[in-house]
Amino acid sequence: MRAAKLYKSMNLSIFTLVMIFLYIPILILIIFSFNDAKIIVGWRGFTLKYYAQLFQNETIKQAFWNTMLIAGLSTLISTAIGILTALGLENKSFSGRRGLMALIYTPLVIPDILMGVSLALLFNFTRVNTGMITVLIAHITFCISYTIIVVQSRLEGFDYSLVEAAMDLGAKPSAIFWKIKFPLMMPGIIAAALLAFTLSIDDFIITFFTSGRGFDTLPIYVEGTIRRGTITTINSLSTLMIGATLLLVVLTKRIRGSLFNL
Amino acid sequence: MNKQHGYLNLSEQKQQKKLNLQSWILTAPAMLWLTFFFLVPYLIVIIYSFLTPDIYDIRFEFSLESYRQIFSGTYLRPFLISFRMAFLTTILCLLLAYPVAYFIARSKEKTRNTLLVFIIIPFWTNLIIRIFSWRIFLATNGVLNDILMQFGLISAPLQIMRTDLAVGLVMVYVYLPYMILPLYSVIEKIDFTLLNAAMDLGANEVKAFFRVTLPLSVTGIFAGSILVFIPALGAYLITQLVGNQKSLYIGQVITYKIKNIPRNWPMASALSLTLLLIVTLLLVGAYLLWLHNKKRKF
Repeated sequence: MRAAKLYKSMNLSIFTLVMIFLYIPILILIIFSFNDAKIIVGWRGFTLKYYAQLFQNETIKQAFWNTMLIAGLSTLISTAIGILTALGLENKSFSGRRGLMALIYTPLVIPDILMGVSLALLFNFTRVNTGMITVLIAHITFCISYTIIVVQSRLEGFDYSLVEAAMDLGAKPSAIFWKIKFPLMMPGIIAAALLAFTLSIDDFIITFFTSGRGFDTLPIYVEGTIRRGTITTINSLSTLMIGATLLLVVLTKRIRGSLFNL
Repeated sequence: MNKQHGYLNLSEQKQQKKLNLQSWILTAPAMLWLTFFFLVPYLIVIIYSFLTPDIYDIRFEFSLESYRQIFSGTYLRPFLISFRMAFLTTILCLLLAYPVAYFIARSKEKTRNTLLVFIIIPFWTNLIIRIFSWRIFLATNGVLNDILMQFGLISAPLQIMRTDLAVGLVMVYVYLPYMILPLYSVIEKIDFTLLNAAMDLGANEVKAFFRVTLPLSVTGIFAGSILVFIPALGAYLITQLVGNQKSLYIGQVITYKIKNIPRNWPMASALSLTLLLIVTLLLVGAYLLWLHNKKRKF
């Protein structure tokens, strides 16, 4: 029993260390976003001026709206495709099932950079001008595998006795879908949409390969700014983005469930 | 009776056909999308790898130059560096994640969910921001060096930024949740009465862990390792932002060949296909190993 206690305290201390490891950089970033210094050397007093600069910077504003536009549209489209596909895959004897499943799972186990390269070459080969549309196509492509799997995992545990009961009571197929099935799928749909939204906002590398000059999302803007070395507003921008993430996590307990079903 | 049975079968068959058609229609958007924007692009990568580079674009002239360079070992170093880093990251993540996942899985159900949220918050924070925060922390005039100098532990700032150590640290940081979550989901499902049974039968804690808990969490170890190793192998952003620019990782080499002038798209294509081949072989290997393990157990 003494060994058991030792084990538990060892696990607890590793857990604590990992927590510190996970949160220290983020905390420092937040604190330094209020630091009144041009470069990051020591504490020079509290200021909000970098937040003010943030809201005056047109390039950042543009990048923000680009990010939201791409995230919103790719979430909408990839979730819709996810719902349809998950419903189609419900039929276990569907003749295209195996092939489609392979097609859905393969993008998940291939490094992102390869999808970026392949799409960049596709748009070069077809002589499409890179910009908003190509970025949107790319984001939908990497989101749909996730949305399909999340919605599908919700349908997997579906209680069909409810549908049968409704059928016995004489409900029309359309009523069964909209009144029973769809509401029960809703948590999965919300989880899928949130996942797609976060993936879209987070993506750097695939956007980097598919966006032309003049269409920056926030991660692209941040990377460019770091490279040029003018990082004063990045701290405050990052802090706001972390705040938005926290809000998202707090607002939705569903994310957790969907993540494990992946 | 017989006739009726046959009739039922026929209608069932019809029903089946109808359902099948319905599935084809419902899944058509996904199939078409993934075919055009996932499969076809790879065909173009294959074609481009056999063409001739141009400073800004590509020339449609057949050439085996890219493959000649790959087979002569010109790009062996970036592959080896990336491999070594991905391997070390996976091992470190496993060593750190296992106790954490175990701790969460064995805590009270209510605390469990809170602890998981704490693991997930960094996971949902923007990748580039997390990398950027490490730059602030590790920079030569950064927070870590500041603190260490304040306490007189070092006299001159440590050069951690732009080294492999920084890349390793940030990779473990970024990919750790990918290891914790699958491990947690298998450990949570382990029937811990088995562990008690083993100990009642005389096994000590260590033996019980290696004979019961560890074998039962193999699926999670496999899933977590794949989720960490593969993105770590192809990482660009981490290596670019905190790595040493003198020793390039494969993700950087591929990106430079596509983005920087002089461009070399055939080379980028051939390198991408090599990376794809390596990943495929690894996955097949992992799958065979997993099958072998499963067979041995039952």
